[in-house]
Order: sequence, then C-alpha cells, then structure tokens
Amino acid sequence: MSNTQPAAVASERTPLKARKVSFAWEKTPLHWVPGDPFTTHTINVLHLLLPAGERWFIHVYRQILPYIHDDQLREDVIGFIGQEAVHSQAHDDVLPHLRELGLDPTPYTAQVDWFFEKLLGDRTLPPGRASKWWLMERVATIAAIEHYTAFLGDWILNADALDRRGADPTMLDLLRWHGAEEVEHRSVAFDVFMHVDGGYRRRVRTWAAAFSALIFLWQRGTRFFMENDPTLLGGKASFKAFHASGKQGTLPSTGAILRSVPSYLSRSYHPSQEGSTAQAVDYLAHSPAALAAETPGTATTGRS
Amino acid sequence: MALPRLRTVVLVSGAALLTRRALRRRIARSPLWPLPALPEPVSGHSKRRATSARRLLITGRSEVADGVVQLRLEGAGLPRWEPGAHLDLVLPSGLVRQYSLCGDPEDSGAYTVATRLVEDGRGGSREVHEQLQEGLEVEVRGPRNRFPLTGAPGYVFVVGGIGITPVLPMLRSLAASGADWRLLYGGRSRGSMPFLEEIEKLGADGDRVTVVAQDEAGHPDVAAALTGLAPGTAVYCCGPEPLMDAVAAALPEGHPLHLERFSAATGDAAGPGSGAFEVELRRSGRTVPVAAGQSVLAAVRAAAPHVAYSCEQGFCGTCQQRVLEGEIDHRDDLLTDDERGESMLICVSRCRGGRLVLDL
Repeated sequence: MSNTQPAAVASERTPLKARKVSFAWEKTPLHWVPGDPFTTHTINVLHLLLPAGERWFIHVYRQILPYIHDDQLREDVIGFIGQEAVHSQAHDDVLPHLRELGLDPTPYTAQVDWFFEKLLGDRTLPPGRASKWWLMERVATIAAIEHYTAFLGDWILNADALDRRGADPTMLDLLRWHGAEEVEHRSVAFDVFMHVDGGYRRRVRTWAAAFSALIFLWQRGTRFFMENDPTLLGGKASFKAFHASGKQGTLPSTGAILRSVPSYLSRSYHPSQEGSTAQAVDYLAHSPAALAAETPGTATTGRS
Repeated sequence: MALPRLRTVVLVSGAALLTRRALRRRIARSPLWPLPALPEPVSGHSKRRATSARRLLITGRSEVADGVVQLRLEGAGLPRWEPGAHLDLVLPSGLVRQYSLCGDPEDSGAYTVATRLVEDGRGGSREVHEQLQEGLEVEVRGPRNRFPLTGAPGYVFVVGGIGITPVLPMLRSLAASGADWRLLYGGRSRGSMPFLEEIEKLGADGDRVTVVAQDEAGHPDVAAALTGLAPGTAVYCCGPEPLMDAVAAALPEGHPLHLERFSAATGDAAGPGSGAFEVELRRSGRTVPVAAGQSVLAAVRAAAPHVAYSCEQGFCGTCQQRVLEGEIDHRDDLLTDDERGESMLICVSRCRGGRLVLDL
C-alpha cells in the first residue's frame, strides 16, 4: 500500500449542470470529415458505444449513491448522472440518422447493449458480498473509462485539424460540447472510486480490463463501419491508417494514447492534473448547442 | 531435417489462414463476435421523441365539415403511431396544442390532423384555422399515445363531434381486422360532423353506426348504447365533458372505460394534464400547487429544497419519486411499466387529474 495521496487541483473544480442541448442531423453528411471516411468512422464509433455505455454509468452510479458520505461529492455525482444522461441521448439521436444514410448500426449496437446490460449488468454475480464486490469493480472500471473520455474530451477541444478539414459543424459541436462536459466532470468518477474503495490493485486490474475492452470495441466498430459503408468498396480499417490520422491531428496520436497509460497508473494521479476546466467552460460558453439550451423556446440548434 | 520443418510451416500457415477466414466470416455476420446481441436492441431504437422537434410542411388544408379544418403535414421518415395517438403542434405564437392523428398510421411521409374552430376558446384553434396555411412549416413533437386501442372481445365507441378524430383510425383498423364494434356518434348537425361518409361506409355491414344529429334528434341515448354489452366489451369515449360524465354514469360494471378528454382532441385547451393541479407531500405534511406549465419538480423544490434531480429532461431518473395516490401522466420514456405503476419522474411527468400524493 502506498501513502502517496492523489493531489486534486482545487481550481479545476466546477459545479456540474446538465445542459438541455439538441442537434438537428438532417444536413450532416455520411462522411462528415470530408473525404476521410476512416477518420469519420473511427470517431463515429462513439455513437455506437456511448448510448449504452453512459446508460450503464448511470445505472451503476444510482446504486453507488448510498455509499457516498460526502455532500459535495454526492452533489458532483448527481450532476455527473444528469450530464451523462444527456450525452447518452444526444449520441443515440445520431443512430437513426446513420440508418437513414444507409448505414444501419443495429447489428453492432445490439451487441454493445448486451455487453453493458447483461455482461456488465447486475446479475453477472449473485447478491450479497459478491454483488458488493461487483459494484466496486464496476465503479473502478468507470473511473478508468472516464480517464479516457477526459483524454478524448481534451483532445477534441484542441483538434484544430478537424476544423481545417471542414468537418461538419453540428457534429463538431456535439463532440466538443460532450468533450467539454467530460473535461468539466473528469474528476468525479475517480473521486467516487477513491471515496468508496480506492484500492490500487483494483485500479490497475480494472484499467487493464477497460483498456483492452475499449481497444476491442473500437477496432471492431471502425471495421464494422468501414465494411458496411454503402459508399465504400472494400472499405478497410487498419492500424496504419489510425497512426497516419493521428499524425495529421484528425485522430488522437498513438504516442499520446500510450502516454496516457502510465499517467493513470501513477499512484499520485488525479484527473484534475490533466486538461483544463477553463478551456471547457469557455467552449461551453460559446457552443451553439449549449447556448441554444439556455434560451427557452429554441429547441434546435440552427445552422448557418 | 529440412522436410519436417517445411511441413510444419505449411501446416501452421494453413491453419492460420483458415482461422483468419473463419474469424472474418463470423465478424462480418456479428460485428462483436463472440458476444451475443440483446434480442431487443435499445440503442438507436428509442421510442421517445427525438430531442429535437420536427418541422413539417403543410401540404394540404381542407374544410372537412362546417368549422372543421383538416391539415396534411408532410415530412420524411416520420415515426409510426398507433390509433389514438396525438401530435403536439407548436403554433406560430408559441402555443402548444395537442391534436389527434386521424390519417393512416402506416404513412411515414405525412401526418393528418383535424381541428374544430372554437369561437370562445383560448386561441389555439383560431390560430390553426387562420394562420396555418398550405406551404407553411409547422413544428411538431410526438406522436404520443394516451388513448391506445387495447385488446378486447368487442368495442363500443361513444363520440361527440370533433372527438371522432382519435377514433377514426381505430374504426379503420377494427373494420380491417373484422373485429366486433359499434359507434354512437353525436354532433350538432350532420354538416358539422366530420368523416360521416367514411364512417357510415365502414359500418355498413351490420348496423354498427348510429349517428345522432342534435338538430334532428336531440342528444344521443348513451344509456341505450351501453345496455346489454357482451362481457369484456371495451368502451371508448371522446367528446365534451357532459358526454363523458353520461358514459361514466351509464356504464355497467366490468367494462373497461377509456376516456380521451375532449379538450385534447379539439386541441383547444392545453392537453390532458398540462394544466394546474396540486401535489401533496405526504410525509412532510405539505401541499404545493403546480401551475400550468410549471414542473412538479419546480413546485416541490419550493417546499423540499433537497429533493434530488439532475437532467430535468426525463432521461436520468434521479428525480424518481414514489406516488401514493393520483393518476400520473407519464412523459418520460425511461421508467419501465412496472415502475410507472407507483412512481414518476417529477421533472417532466404530470398529473391527469387535480391531485397527486407523493411519498416525500
């Protein structure tokens, strides 16, 4: 057991509030990064994973609330639940649009639904001590996944290469609104884990499981989109293409992903040490969707 | 020495090739092989209304009876609906009114609604009649169904005037399936009663339809229509308040009654349950009023500031509360049917009557 305490950066904390955003997808093309189906579909995997994944976060967190004996953390968790619920819905709304464009995501999403609802659901282990253990295991897994959502959130807020490529503004706003809220609440999942358990071996074990699962799901997801894209002949996904996009800045770079591993496994890690709340809040102050959500009566973000 | 090694290499690479092919075939069929799929997929198949409202183009406007205008609203890939469903129309002034869908549920390219002009109403129907012209776009939400057709051995419909709109698609569907049904249809005059011709045609076999125009024959005889019903016959009523009271009073025991408030069908009131009501917090011993347009959550927070809530959109379930009494108007799509029996999400759901009692 180590005595090193994760040091939270106090100035990075911000009150969490779900924003009532909505997006109109009618005008978003299939390849919303123009001429780059691979990048488009690699990012599109988010729409496959997040609806079921974030629903699962909420499902687990509603069970962990009774274990939280800190008013401020409890408030954060409730804000986190609300934000995650809206994220899940916002990404879910993209799926029918993909179907309309001829790329039906159902074969994949039905399996992701099974993954989160059954394999990672409540009944994987019997009630009693085993189910408490399973709850803690899932809370730790969420902390590990949130390390990567914060990583991606920070990345998308700074991914100027996508703007230069002329990526669809509605999709960019969805990703950046979501990314900014992930950066805003990046400490919550880790704080919850440290509050209810915090064991280092559990942190490492669940990180390994989460990281492997993410790579498996992501690689299969990109492959699924590329092979089923009605406009591509013999579409393929490869690590080489991923590495190349990372170099161009349209996807996270391989190096940055590798560097994120030791940072999470460091005993003094705290999510507030990475990313910038100020930048996230600043984006949310200008995001078309977040702005529209503040003005009553305008339900849909307009496009110029 | 060299030969066996070559054989091993050939064997191993052959096995690797076969494995790769087998894997590819499986992954092509099942993208996350070896994981199974959830039999009823959830993601991307939400029946809840999309978070964004739709804008539909008015491509048809016709007067189908005296004072009744029918609108055809066109769009692409519209959600399907079941008979009895209604649509929220966001009128140009911002008023939101509910109108029953009276077109073809299978048509994913257009919705049809009909509305009667109510001279002394609150302005919704006047706005529809005067402002919604062909070629304009109108914002809609829904459809939702609070008046669904349930399975029953037989059906009796008691309808007043424009209350026919949610019932018409039901009659079409029942007539097509050969079910046993009867209709008592009352109105001020035959000229003011929409869809008469079609309905009489639907009921042509076996005297199913009784039309009672007030200027010819006075009020419909509700009691007579409800006597001698076969056991289990479902009774549906949509019309003005006195008609529904008469049906409720004359209904024999053992018949399920389905009511659709007339106001919702004509759309000249703010739909069922959008109005004001009161909420009793049983454990705190307090009662708070909920104003029209105010959420239960907002009203309850005034009395119980620590009540938990988060997304305020009916998605996350944080604000779920147990309901001890009162008829809930569920407006979320999160809770399961079991949960709906005795709990609600107070951020979006409301009350269909005048009073709710929460375990708070």
